[in-house]
Amino acid sequence: MSIDWAKLPPPQPAPDLDSQGFWDSIGHGELRLRRCPSCALWHHPPLEHCRRCATPTEFEPVTSTGTVYTFIVQRQPAVVGYSALVPYTVAIVELDDQPGLRLTGRIVDIDADEVHIGMRVDSRIELLPGGDFHIPVFSPTLPREATP
Amino acid sequence: MDLSGAAIVGIGRTAYRRQSGRTGISLAAEAVRVALDDAGLAPADVDGMTCFSTGDPATPHRVSHAIGLDEIGWTVNTYAGGNQVALVIANAAAAIITGQADVVVVYRVLDAGVRYGKVTDAVEVGGVEQFSAPHGYLVPPQWFAMWARRHQHVYGSTCEDLGAIAINSRAHAVANEHAIARDPIDLDDYLAGRWIVEPFRVYDLAYEVDGAVALVLTSAEQAKDLAHRAVYPIGAAEGTGAGGMPDLWPDQTSMYSRIVAPRLWERTGLSAADIDVACMYDCFTYTVMATFEDFGFCEKGEVGDYFRAGRATYGGDVVVNPHGGLLSEGYLHGLNHHYEAVLQLRGGAGVRQVDDAELALVTAGAGPYGGAIVYGTERPC
Ligand SMILES: [Zn+2]
Repeated sequence: MSIDWAKLPPPQPAPDLDSQGFWDSIGHGELRLRRCPSCALWHHPPLEHCRRCATPTEFEPVTSTGTVYTFIVQRQPAVVGYSALVPYTVAIVELDDQPGLRLTGRIVDIDADEVHIGMRVDSRIELLPGGDFHIPVFSPTLPREATP
Repeated sequence: MDLSGAAIVGIGRTAYRRQSGRTGISLAAEAVRVALDDAGLAPADVDGMTCFSTGDPATPHRVSHAIGLDEIGWTVNTYAGGNQVALVIANAAAAIITGQADVVVVYRVLDAGVRYGKVTDAVEVGGVEQFSAPHGYLVPPQWFAMWARRHQHVYGSTCEDLGAIAINSRAHAVANEHAIARDPIDLDDYLAGRWIVEPFRVYDLAYEVDGAVALVLTSAEQAKDLAHRAVYPIGAAEGTGAGGMPDLWPDQTSMYSRIVAPRLWERTGLSAADIDVACMYDCFTYTVMATFEDFGFCEKGEVGDYFRAGRATYGGDVVVNPHGGLLSEGYLHGLNHHYEAVLQLRGGAGVRQVDDAELALVTAGAGPYGGAIVYGTERPC
């Protein structure tokens, strides 16, 4: 017996006590990450206390823009729920808020062949099929927003 | 640091198959028995056993029972992938040197229940991957294709360079009857290989198989009386950065090896130029590229030229993965690299024997975490 895994939903996140605020806020349409109120360091993945100064962190809104650090184009089905989307592009995006502050997500609204490292992107929030969770996806910023 | 108070005295393995139709316990027990037989030891001589896995049922407790032991003393079941193979072996050597055990078996088994290239079940994902899995991004080929792309961007390395690594591995596997993939490939074949996850084609990925490998270690003293010429772990080093999270490693053009290589060479007093056989962990071609540079065999961005010039094969500077590696011999999570290194240093590798092999580097891991061991035919003075 083989399951038709193409028809199954994509992996769903299992929030924990440190990440619940991320999923709650993105569910309400806002991208928020944990930040240290003392030394201002952003943390993603989330930590309860700042890894630099051990101050309790708080969720704060981040800018939605960033730069593609690197990316892949998935050409064969590999992850449940995504076989119908093949080929799809996933990028590691460095957010503008802090060097090394990275979010991973799909790149949409552009041909895979046109995606490149250094490309400026903006995030928007989409419903993740199969449940009530929302996730960020990235699309190229409009030319007028391009950075030097 | 001197691990050479312990020695590898036995090696064993099962056949490597796409589908064995056997359980992990059965495969592991077979490989362990073969390794003990190779050493001229019996199951009753074993008082230590260790493995690494990501939660497989073939634990040291179960496997020691399966080979006939009613009790076992020293056991460690390390939760890890290929990144901690070197650590597991170094721990086994340390257990012997410190008198915690006399004869330790190290094994790794992969059966059909364990495949890392795809996730086909409906899943809820926690931990750090709760932020990546929902994007259809959850399996290692995806993580390391990201890294390979970054290297191409920064150093101008190419898919043809990755292909040179795949071609070299396959050429070696042709002469290895134990290898799962033995048809030679050239650059046209490589480039005609289907895309899996750009920039990786099918030949850039390890070949997942069922099978098991086992090593037997005992004290250097006792090793003198056993069947084979002993092979000594001369030094080992480990390193993990970015909390072990691949996407967070600051510079994906280098791997853990950027930390581990200087640590290993400092501890052993050796360098890449001393190495005769390099069993480079090759879950992906790019893993070889980044770690080969980091261990100092060549400069950043030069791996493709190095391999194309024949410097990574017989008659060159160092023979890289004479067994065909994880890419072509089979994905035994890197313990098969240690098997091959021991075979080469014993002079028992037959048609693929590397001339005058005295020192072997075996690396383990990819991305932010890994380690390495240097083996030698002699104990350091
Ligand atoms: Zn702080």
